[in-house]
Amino acid sequence: MLRSYSPSEYLFFTAAVFSGLLTAAVFGFLFFFGLPLLQSGQLADVLFSSWAPGKGLYGIYPMLLSSLTLATLSMLISFPISLGCSFIITALAPLRLRRVLLALIRVMTGIPTVVYSFAALFFLVPLMRNLIGHGSGMSILTAAPVLALVIAPTMILFFVNSFNKVSPRFTLAAEALGCSKIQKILYIILPQAWPGVINGILLGFGRAMGDTMVSLMLAGNSTAMPEAVTDSARTLTAHIALVLAFDFDSMEFKSIFVCGLSLYLLTALLMLLFRLSTAYFSQAR
Amino acid sequence: MKIQTQSLCFYYHRQQVLRDINLHLPANKITAITGPSGSGKSTLLMAFNRLWEEIDGCRISGEVFMHLNGQNTNIYNPTLPLLELRRKVGMVFQQPNPLPMSISKNIAFPLRLAHIHDKRLVGQKVESALRKVALWDEVKDRLNDDGRLLSGGQQQRLCLARALVLRPEVLLLDEPTSSLDPDASAAIEELLLSLKTKCTLIMVSHYQDQIQRIADLHVQVLNGQCSISSNSLPENPSNRLSMN
Repeated sequence: MLRSYSPSEYLFFTAAVFSGLLTAAVFGFLFFFGLPLLQSGQLADVLFSSWAPGKGLYGIYPMLLSSLTLATLSMLISFPISLGCSFIITALAPLRLRRVLLALIRVMTGIPTVVYSFAALFFLVPLMRNLIGHGSGMSILTAAPVLALVIAPTMILFFVNSFNKVSPRFTLAAEALGCSKIQKILYIILPQAWPGVINGILLGFGRAMGDTMVSLMLAGNSTAMPEAVTDSARTLTAHIALVLAFDFDSMEFKSIFVCGLSLYLLTALLMLLFRLSTAYFSQAR
Repeated sequence: MKIQTQSLCFYYHRQQVLRDINLHLPANKITAITGPSGSGKSTLLMAFNRLWEEIDGCRISGEVFMHLNGQNTNIYNPTLPLLELRRKVGMVFQQPNPLPMSISKNIAFPLRLAHIHDKRLVGQKVESALRKVALWDEVKDRLNDDGRLLSGGQQQRLCLARALVLRPEVLLLDEPTSSLDPDASAAIEELLLSLKTKCTLIMVSHYQDQIQRIADLHVQVLNGQCSISSNSLPENPSNRLSMN
């Protein structure tokens, strides 16, 4: 028997299909405009060579590498801090302080990244200039702690959420047996919630890869291949933002569609991993 | 006297749950707590192991004295180590709540918390605790199975064994048989009676017949206040159990 749908159900269904199509359309758009470059057999060149428009080289390899390095480095800084914060918010702090901290973290997610970067421009960049001893003070190492701060609230909220999902039956049972707060985290909460921790890391990494403002303002934007984290570097996102100023017909402009496509695919891959791991872990339980 | 409360009041957010409770509970007896649901029976239990402190919005005033390690102790003394208290005052909940780990790890969990790691000693204690609750023969071949795979009655006995492994002086029981069938309930009741020689038992119960079978004292909680009476049928409760 066919079930009949109400007009509002049709409306929501259409909205869902439309937003799905929109994402696909963005992919199609990037693919279509990147096609000339892909067809001319220059894909490998674009992906694996360096950026020297003067010599006819439009490679994005340095940017790809910078993006991955910066995201990894900021994750290394952010993960332990985020994990610690979420322990404090879910188990260690007095109950009242937990609520205050959580509210603060929620506020942090709403602060535009340009504000963080702007503050860092005045406080962190001069400090790094002195520490590194050469250059402008803008480098991967300068951007990493700021990006860590940007992605931390996302990860903290995700961790806290997964910790709070651990059944109070388990935590109360453990507490009644004389479980200290640290023991509760180590023996009860983490073994139950670690799939959520993994997913939080994947999401945080995705955010780090996608953020533009921090690297644009603080990483230095040099198109040269970075050899050390103290070098100035340009990420894929910053590259797109910078090249947009070029003439629409130029090769420079065409190459950023490949940048967009790479970012799109990398992020999609991360989300796919996120989905797969969520499905895998929820099945395993 | 094992436990004594002085002007104990309990608040949940703005609501006063218990008013001016002054109780004297003797050692090595089973004290039953009854009352309508929501009257604060479980709350009264949690005042004895300070478990309410883990729940947001709870507040308490007054004192609770307990005879522990041969000394009369104010359990709300800020210098008293809370974890020590909870190891001396065990608790069994209404719903069996085995932890998400194997049967043997469930029993060994309190030992692990108390930093007892000697494998042979732990193994011995796990076995003796499981024997005490008559679960050993049923699970000895599957000690590594998840504790949550046992039947309801077995789970509750597992939780009882877990509460007993640190040899508590006081055992708090929050309707320990309410989720069990009659046979499993009878097994738990028999166990509780056998524990009286080593433990002081305080049990919330809904069942009048259960109270008459095994309780020595009866505390009724009504509108936040308590009245205590010795059980209405004073004959030896274990005889009554066998009479049924």
